[in-house]
Amino acid sequence: MANIFGIDLGTTNSLIAAMENGAPKVIAERDSGATLLPSVVAIAPDGAVTVGERAIELEPHLTVERDGRVSAVGFPGGEYGAVIRSVKRYMGLGGNEVAAEDRARYTFADLSGPVVRFQIGKRSFTPSQISAEILRALKERAESSLENEKVERVVITVPAYFNDGQRQATKDAGRLAGLEVIRLVNEPTAASLAYGLNKMATGNVAVYDFGGGTFDISILSIKEGIFEVLATNGDTHLGGDDIDNAIVDWLLSELPETVKRDRHVWNSARMAAEDAKKRLTEASETRIVVELPGHTVKKNLTRAALDEIAGPFVARTLNRCELALKDAKLSAREIDAIVLVGGSTRMPIVRKRVATMFQREPLCSIDPDQVVALGAAVQASVLMGTQGDMLLLDVVPLSLGIETMGGIMERLIHRNTTIPTSITEGFTTAVDNQTHVDVHVLQGERELAKDCRSLARFKLGPIQPQPAGVPRIDVAFLIDANGILNVNARDQRTGREHSIDVKPSYGLTDDEIERMLEEAIDLGEQDLEERLLISARNDAEQILGALQKQLGEFGNLVEAGERAQIVETAGRLEAARKGTDREFIAKLVEELNEITTPFAERIMDAAIKLALEKKSVEELA
Amino acid sequence: MIECPSCGRRQEPRLICADCGSPLSAEIDCFAALDIPQKLALELPALERIYHELSRKVHPDRFASSAVAVRDASLRATALLTRSYRTLRDPIARGLYWLELHGEKLAENNKNVPPDLAELVFDVQEHLAELRDVVGNGDSFNKLATQVSEKRTEVQALMDEGLGELERNFARWDTSKAAQESMLKLELKAILSKIAYLRTLLRDVDRALEGSQAA
Repeated sequence: MANIFGIDLGTTNSLIAAMENGAPKVIAERDSGATLLPSVVAIAPDGAVTVGERAIELEPHLTVERDGRVSAVGFPGGEYGAVIRSVKRYMGLGGNEVAAEDRARYTFADLSGPVVRFQIGKRSFTPSQISAEILRALKERAESSLENEKVERVVITVPAYFNDGQRQATKDAGRLAGLEVIRLVNEPTAASLAYGLNKMATGNVAVYDFGGGTFDISILSIKEGIFEVLATNGDTHLGGDDIDNAIVDWLLSELPETVKRDRHVWNSARMAAEDAKKRLTEASETRIVVELPGHTVKKNLTRAALDEIAGPFVARTLNRCELALKDAKLSAREIDAIVLVGGSTRMPIVRKRVATMFQREPLCSIDPDQVVALGAAVQASVLMGTQGDMLLLDVVPLSLGIETMGGIMERLIHRNTTIPTSITEGFTTAVDNQTHVDVHVLQGERELAKDCRSLARFKLGPIQPQPAGVPRIDVAFLIDANGILNVNARDQRTGREHSIDVKPSYGLTDDEIERMLEEAIDLGEQDLEERLLISARNDAEQILGALQKQLGEFGNLVEAGERAQIVETAGRLEAARKGTDREFIAKLVEELNEITTPFAERIMDAAIKLALEKKSVEELA
Repeated sequence: MIECPSCGRRQEPRLICADCGSPLSAEIDCFAALDIPQKLALELPALERIYHELSRKVHPDRFASSAVAVRDASLRATALLTRSYRTLRDPIARGLYWLELHGEKLAENNKNVPPDLAELVFDVQEHLAELRDVVGNGDSFNKLATQVSEKRTEVQALMDEGLGELERNFARWDTSKAAQESMLKLELKAILSKIAYLRTLLRDVDRALEGSQAA
């Protein structure tokens, strides 16, 4: 039987792991030996995809050249191609749920639809499609490292607090990457499996999982190989990213908004902030330098100051821990072990506060970046039947219910119910001869339907015309082992199964996924050489288009001899891109890039100077 | 009679196939799902052991590579098992379920206040109404929340008392003669409606107190 692989599809990094001689092991890249794949996806205007470290190089940022000039490099977004990081934050979101700060960071397509779409070139991409690229890269990495093995069946981890839509979007990503997703496993639960395998522990365990973009706390009871989740809580939009952003705000506080919001400036500052945060895990003080054109930001950040910046975020995680303990009906003292998961738990303030709350030193003997992927591999082996008596009993993180009269949410399945679980609810008509009953399915903890998240709407029927209250249709709501809802309806009187067209409020319909798959297959069947040629031609088109625009708008910034040289190279590229020699096209693109760099820097310089001048004028006024 | 999706054997509905041990998609009661007699007094640790043991046999993780019909049966059997365990491990839910099995379903969302609770209920509801009015108004909310928390303690104490009474009687009821059954049901109903009412009240209080955090 083909192997099942474990995948941690993280906000910041992704990993793939498998069992090797009875122990879980992360599969490293064959040449570099790297275990973490940065969850960063670059998409060129023609759709050419780059994932991981090389995609980071393509992120818009500022770089200091050998001659000391600061220049802007990378895909700036929209029609010039974009680089997307932390795509996990967008999984399962509807268009109207995109925050204003995100809109400054990326170019989105129409935001009125049920799914967020990134606009890149002429095409738009859903978060599931972007995530599928990360999954594909992991698959390729594993297949090239392991040689004779195919990666077809996988377990993918998700934050325990992911709602139905976010889970569905993750499953869709797997399908779009051509993978069979055997199971979605909650990240903290996976981590507990990785720890449990070594020790076969017994007792109550709390898993504190603070990653790049999400926070989870799960409380488990472990007994003779049964890992039973008692309660889980979390925040799917709270992570190390938020701390980095807060550092950037502090770092750039003196700069005008227009400069701060520049994608190149912001990204460079973010990278500097992240590095500084990491250095402060060991050091007590660090210097942050961000080179902007014509301006340098230099600041010292102490551990104490970082603690102050991070404090409110950590406090929010601890609040979630309290709620989880309450649901598990346990006190902090009754927890026998606390496990730290996720890169953000490297921060000393996190360790300190967690230790204080639970009154014991947390466990972190397994690399917090790897533990989830290792656990996913363990769960994969459970699913293959090679893990003896080990069994995971997980829960649904959020209550599920329906909208009733007066817009009230009626809970059918309470949060922290062990899954799989099902409940059957009877529906009837409110007026005579009614032929349909509308059902609105909700997820959340609030009392009013409007404050909960809409999962789906469907119509029951057609129902034979009868007096009000006579028809009875039983609807079975079933949450499977992935935490995903399935709905079935049956007419009590006729015994007939009702077909239900469940229209998800957010997310993709099956038809849309089919279409995306067909598109992907079309691309896959194209000859690789041909794709590379198209990609090179598109690069050429992109640089020529941008150049033409810049020469028009900023013609005064071109130096005398420079223009002739640029025009000449551009002309040669223009001719080459009609041919089929892709290496020659690529060489000319590079050449043109090089000779136009000083010009591009002058444009950036001018823009920033303008913004800074404007600010000083405003300050004077 | 139902058919096992794994081996095809036809049999009485049960959780697990008598022949091959695979999960079945059966509609059976909670006691039957856990394969225990219909008793009110249950040992929780023993019940948990049975639940874990059966979970190992029917859980979808055990059938990840099986045929669709088997996977489906596993999903349904596990959902039934989980629901059965959750119902029976909670003495209130167990009592209510037992009554239901014996044709005495307690009305859901019972709005009739048990007479001896009337005064307390009225008092608590009034406090809750006031509390809801001041959500978002820090000081007043906190002050009222403290008062409501005190009331909560009172309600909880009554509830614990009722639970004790329930548990004490379970064993007695289990051994009572068939002739006493109608009497037994009346007693059980009286205690359960009181507890169920108190529980709803506690939930209301908790939601009102949480209301400010969620908002």
